[in-house]
Amino acid sequence: MKKHWLMGGFVGVIALAAAAFVQEQDAPVAGGDSPAAYPSGQPIAFPHNQHAGSEPGQNNMDCMFCHFSAERSVDAGIPPVSTCMGCHAVIPGTQNPQEIDKLRNYATTQEPIPWVRVYKVSDHVHFPHMRHVNAGLQCQQCHGQVQEMTVLNSRAPEWGGDNMGWCVDCHRQSEASTDCSVCHY
Amino acid sequence: MTDGIKRRDFLKVLGVSGAGATLTACSTEKVERLLPYVTMPEDITPGVATWYTTVCDGCSAQCGMWVRTREGRAVKVEGNPDHPISGGALCSRGHASLQGLYDPDRIASPMVREGADFRSITWEEAEALLAQKLDEAGGRSLFIGGPLGPSMAGLVDDFMESVGGSRVEYEPLADAPLREAARIVFGVDSVPRFDIGEARFVLSFGADFLETWLSPVEYGKSFAKMSAVDDHGSKGRFVFAGPRLSLTGLNADEWVPIRAGSEAVVALAMAGIIAEDFGDAGPYAAMLAEYDVRRAAEVSGVSEDAIREMAHRFASEGPSLALGPGAAGHHRNATAANVAVMILNAVAGNVGRTIHFDAARGGSASRPYGDIESAIRAMASGGVGVAMVHGVNPAYSLPAASGFADAFASVGFKVSFASSMDETSAMADLVLPDRHFLESWGDTSPVSGVMAIRQPVMQPVPHFNSKQTGDVLLSVAGRMGRGMGAATFYDYLRNGHRRMHGSDAEFETAWRHALKKGVVVHDGGGQGAVPALRAPDTALAFGAPTLDGDGDLTLLVYPSSRFGAGEFSNSPWLQELPDPVSKITWHSWLEMNPHTAEAMALRDGDIVTVTSPHGSVDVPVWTYPGIREEAVGLALGGGHTGFGRYADGNGVNALALLPAETEQPSGALVTVATRVTITPTGEHRRMATVAGSDDQHDRPIAPAVALAALGHGGEHATEGGHGSGQHMELQGVGGFVPMAAPEEEVSDRFPMEGSRHGEYGDRENTARWVMAIDLDKCTGCSACVTACQAENNVPWVGEQQVVMGREMQWMRIERYYESVDATHAAPLDVRFLPMLCQHCGNAPCEPVCPVYATYHTPEGVNAQVYNRCVGTRYCANNCPYKVRVFNWYSYTDAVPEPMNWQWNPDVTVRENGVMEKCSFCMQRVREAENRAALEGGRDLRDGEIVTACQQSCPAEAIVFGNLRDPESRVAHVVANERTYRVLDDLINTQPSVNYLKKVTFHEVASGEHA
Repeated sequence: MKKHWLMGGFVGVIALAAAAFVQEQDAPVAGGDSPAAYPSGQPIAFPHNQHAGSEPGQNNMDCMFCHFSAERSVDAGIPPVSTCMGCHAVIPGTQNPQEIDKLRNYATTQEPIPWVRVYKVSDHVHFPHMRHVNAGLQCQQCHGQVQEMTVLNSRAPEWGGDNMGWCVDCHRQSEASTDCSVCHY
Repeated sequence: MTDGIKRRDFLKVLGVSGAGATLTACSTEKVERLLPYVTMPEDITPGVATWYTTVCDGCSAQCGMWVRTREGRAVKVEGNPDHPISGGALCSRGHASLQGLYDPDRIASPMVREGADFRSITWEEAEALLAQKLDEAGGRSLFIGGPLGPSMAGLVDDFMESVGGSRVEYEPLADAPLREAARIVFGVDSVPRFDIGEARFVLSFGADFLETWLSPVEYGKSFAKMSAVDDHGSKGRFVFAGPRLSLTGLNADEWVPIRAGSEAVVALAMAGIIAEDFGDAGPYAAMLAEYDVRRAAEVSGVSEDAIREMAHRFASEGPSLALGPGAAGHHRNATAANVAVMILNAVAGNVGRTIHFDAARGGSASRPYGDIESAIRAMASGGVGVAMVHGVNPAYSLPAASGFADAFASVGFKVSFASSMDETSAMADLVLPDRHFLESWGDTSPVSGVMAIRQPVMQPVPHFNSKQTGDVLLSVAGRMGRGMGAATFYDYLRNGHRRMHGSDAEFETAWRHALKKGVVVHDGGGQGAVPALRAPDTALAFGAPTLDGDGDLTLLVYPSSRFGAGEFSNSPWLQELPDPVSKITWHSWLEMNPHTAEAMALRDGDIVTVTSPHGSVDVPVWTYPGIREEAVGLALGGGHTGFGRYADGNGVNALALLPAETEQPSGALVTVATRVTITPTGEHRRMATVAGSDDQHDRPIAPAVALAALGHGGEHATEGGHGSGQHMELQGVGGFVPMAAPEEEVSDRFPMEGSRHGEYGDRENTARWVMAIDLDKCTGCSACVTACQAENNVPWVGEQQVVMGREMQWMRIERYYESVDATHAAPLDVRFLPMLCQHCGNAPCEPVCPVYATYHTPEGVNAQVYNRCVGTRYCANNCPYKVRVFNWYSYTDAVPEPMNWQWNPDVTVRENGVMEKCSFCMQRVREAENRAALEGGRDLRDGEIVTACQQSCPAEAIVFGNLRDPESRVAHVVANERTYRVLDDLINTQPSVNYLKKVTFHEVASGEHA
């Protein structure tokens, strides 16, 4: 009987690992711009580390350079294509110039980039970014070490997602309100 | 299972591998996209609302609006506090204009008729076709439109002049008799401005100024001012004279139930009495002698004494003001009745005091009414080559017998500028979808001295390829080689306003200022000119009007406070908004006095056939003590056949019973014109009503206090009968124990000690949110109900679900008859009570929730956590106020594109299986807290948080705030001697919603709430 249990667990672990593998990999796959072109599903292979990382050759940009409304709005803000082009009009890129060509294509055709959402809390939760940023929290506290990631994933050890205990732990430690109606209304 | 695998183990294996499969699926299939802007609009920050000013185009009142947009979508409309008409409030219809913007039944593109159907065409083709047809018509064209703003009216007039033809203004419920009376009596061709707020005695002859008459929001505000108890302990008196109590009538202090059509004789008799002692009736003196009080009593069916008393009060309790009759009283002598009321006002010296001609209501004063009749004749006789209809729906809103439909059908080329299909556009050859007013430019000047620019608050809804009519006309004129000096209506509008300014720079500054503030108020000019009475130039009949037919009952057709004449009927919010009088939703009903119904053995919901000489309809009976026994009432706005999915098939069109005739000399639609017979069909239906009981059953739900008892601490004595019980306190889990004797009066200590329950205790450093609702100000208009529905993503459920009692509005207006008597034998006393979650300090709903989904916050709010709720509905069962609603189906899933664009992104859209209720607009509290935190962590300011219902209330009956702040407005209001909390004395719920008792002129008997 116990063996069957193990067998089931084994199947599950393999499935999980497969899912993880699929998300971790994000090398460009030949075959154009379809969402399937990147295993992560992102339309452009955007490397966060190249932009925000502080290693030699990386640009050490502030998160809020692009996520411009994080300190004044409930939404952190996804940069408009024009923000990307502000730099990439003159930076063609060296490692994957074809990715920047895609960006230029979006700018030329005036189409928004259909990014795949990575971090999401449920609709019944209201998370005001500005309150947390202004309270002195680092973005990394929830989103993980984004400046070290090529591709973001919502399974960074820091990200608790929809796990309310994760939110409440921090609220308790920092003596923020743990009243339900602070987030749920 | 010989091989050793048991069923249970197999399920375990299946379960675990199932989980793995689900995870894999998640990463590939459930993808949510984040779409950034290509270029960021400078005035938008994602997650932060952007507000625009504009002007409501729901009716001719033209209230100033603030529109809240999120990420470029309009999500909420509110009154503009800077605008003198709306004064920051808005009516239900104004709120529902958002649903007109996102109406899924709007027309998707220009269309041309092909046989019985329409074919979509491009704007290019459509304009070319219109230009060609106008050319062919050779000057025989006609433009039928509603009242237009100054610039649009100028443009259409110029256009019609250039292509050859005329413009006809048509407004279904135009107050033409009032305007005509002003012309006859004072020689002023405009509707005067009535200053209800300045009056101390208001007498309405069926003018429904709190719902449809002229400018309901403005009058709602000034009526609250008039009827409020002032510092001297007195309040203005309001008397309603008419055969049926409208919502306005239900707010009267006295009902003088005169027969339909007897307004003129009563007003003249009163004027005669007053003229004897005080005034001078000028050229009308001889006439007043003719209409004495004896004759008035005979015609009106009320006693001579009642009329005399009214007259004496009218003269002595001034400044007084007589109004009406409005559209609900437009019988065949309606102009004469308005003339009589004007004479009454003049004799009592009200002109220049409460009636002002120097700030008259604007509009196209030079145009005679009844033009539509001659337009119909012209169309029928083949004198019209191209007929254009803009913004009105005469095929529905004119009586069938007017012949409009046939005449219109006979026109060679018919053009409709409707934004959604209606009965008129369905007949058109060319349909040119207009923009909704929230997507349009324009200007308004509802009252001289008040000008406001209407600006688009968002890009046009992309589902509909619409174009503003002004732009179409300019483009067509250009094609016909008759350019009008502007390429777009925006340019035309700005050019017009530029002429009023010296330099371009000055104009640009003024323009920006006008857009930012939403209104420009300047001196109306003509200060204090009081016109004198003129001898009439028209023969007028003041006696009782003739009625068609030989039935026993007079039919009173009245404009609906929800639908007007039917132009708002395709809004599910308004369809599901309980009528403020009958509390019925979705369908029509026939109002009938209970005695009349009893004599005919009819009960509520019995379907009867109403037959007039002009037609018949089948409609359920609703018994109503506020209507005379010889009259029956039927509201306009039902029975649409081609207006949209929410309007069609609901109710009946009262116009089917009316003659084609218009009132002379004004040309208004006659609404009181016929007698009817009632024949029971034998069928019965359950009404889609939300009314519980009309009677308070001796419970102090909506108590009142007599004016005389105020200020003497006497209201407890007069109300008596309750409140004397021992206050109980919840003791841990051990039930209730008597509360320790309070040191001061219990009503002075709030929150009470007993409210320290819940996980958090009563923290001193948090706010304590409470609400105060002044029942003396509340008129039951129900604007708050729609405002709440718009703000909080409250779904509508449909007629069938309402019948099952599943309506979901978070607020309702309770309406209790204390004393309503159609024979004038008892005082009128009707109580309105906005009922919402009371946010009890000792809430019955909280301990019964098995999953802790409803609980008490440290801020004193009874919160509902949707994601915890499992839908046992125990809380609703235990709620003594019936304010919790259950989401039986995911009603929001059925909301079609693009109506779901209206949803407020700050409020969770709930699914089925969840209880919901008023949250005290917690999203607005959080928004204010977030704002305060960004502004250096300052404290919240009193008045910074305005709930949706409070914002909307014309009477400012609702106040919300922090009770812990002793300086807050709500703390001052709650300290009033009239304050009470519903059922608190009986069941010790310790609500956070404080009501202030209604103040009556008559004595409120001991033990009578009642």
